[in-house]
Amino acid sequence: MSTPAFTLTAAPQPLLFAGFMTDDTQALATGLRQRDPDLLDRLIEQYQQRLYRYLLFLTGNPPLAEDLFQETWIRVLERGSQYNGKSKFESWLFAIARNLVIDASRRKKISSLEDLGDQESNTPYDPPDERAASVLQMLVSRENEQSVQLSLLKIPAYYREVLLLRFSEELGLEEIAGVMATPVSTVKSRLYRGLAALKTAMTEGAA
Amino acid sequence: MNENLHERAHQLLAKSLVEGLGPVDETWLREHLAACSGCAQDAAAMQNVLRALRAVPVSIPRDLAARTQLRVRLRTQQSSPAAAGSFWLWAVTAASWLLGVSSAPLVWRGFAWLGANFGVPKLALEFGFVLWWTVPPLLAAAIILHQKALTAEWSNKN
Repeated sequence: MSTPAFTLTAAPQPLLFAGFMTDDTQALATGLRQRDPDLLDRLIEQYQQRLYRYLLFLTGNPPLAEDLFQETWIRVLERGSQYNGKSKFESWLFAIARNLVIDASRRKKISSLEDLGDQESNTPYDPPDERAASVLQMLVSRENEQSVQLSLLKIPAYYREVLLLRFSEELGLEEIAGVMATPVSTVKSRLYRGLAALKTAMTEGAA
Repeated sequence: MNENLHERAHQLLAKSLVEGLGPVDETWLREHLAACSGCAQDAAAMQNVLRALRAVPVSIPRDLAARTQLRVRLRTQQSSPAAAGSFWLWAVTAASWLLGVSSAPLVWRGFAWLGANFGVPKLALEFGFVLWWTVPPLLAAAIILHQKALTAEWSNKN
């Protein structure tokens, strides 16, 4: 019998995200309220990788992700006073980015991320433009990662988003619910379905 | 092995990833995985998938952070003086309005004295009184519009 590579651990708890916790989040909130440009510089530097990846996963379109990246930070500047320091900064940041993606989607007559894929028929996510597939394909280099990447392409955007937030960004269920402005039960349900969809896509890809 | 046991193992596997497991379920799953190579392989495969998901590298466009920092700084510079200017403009307007209200009876008596002593027509006095009230807000509105025009022009240039 093979030794299971799986190790039983609890669901990933939110990790320490490079520094900003309770006292620091209060200091962060104060800095944002004061529109401190040096603080914003540091935040942009610190969160560039994660924010850009999140936007790229959602849009599948690098130029659009780039525009939305810049727009997100402008919103952070303009609405910094709304961040109260009680939640994690990244949750607030991702929520702003997500709303901008939805705004951009509305311009394409799509009212929400849910409409990027057909929930009932589980139709694979159709990237917004023809470059998206090749771009997402470029995301992954190793063989195993390639198969994950190809499988991610096959699942709807709202599953991809929740899987990214949970397993890549390692946000807690409540934090994801805050980002997506949905109940925790919906987050759980999407995670279960997303995992099932990813598993199915992986199986089909391997066949 | 009973099909239901595998089904339960798969459900608990998913639950362990999403919500975490209690001690009883965790022990059961651990024992099941130790005894069932099929489920153990599934578990390992899922862990590999999640590991790969975490490791997905993204190449950020060159200078994106620097360009964003510049844009944010420009926006900060653009909005800060205007915001500060607006505050003082509103403060002065509010003070002017309060002063106008409190001094209205005196002003009216002053206009009445002018009319009585210099024979100024009543219509001219009323017009003067209306001007006393309307000139400050009109001036404030003109300044705000001018400020907005300057800001828009500055934005277009940048």
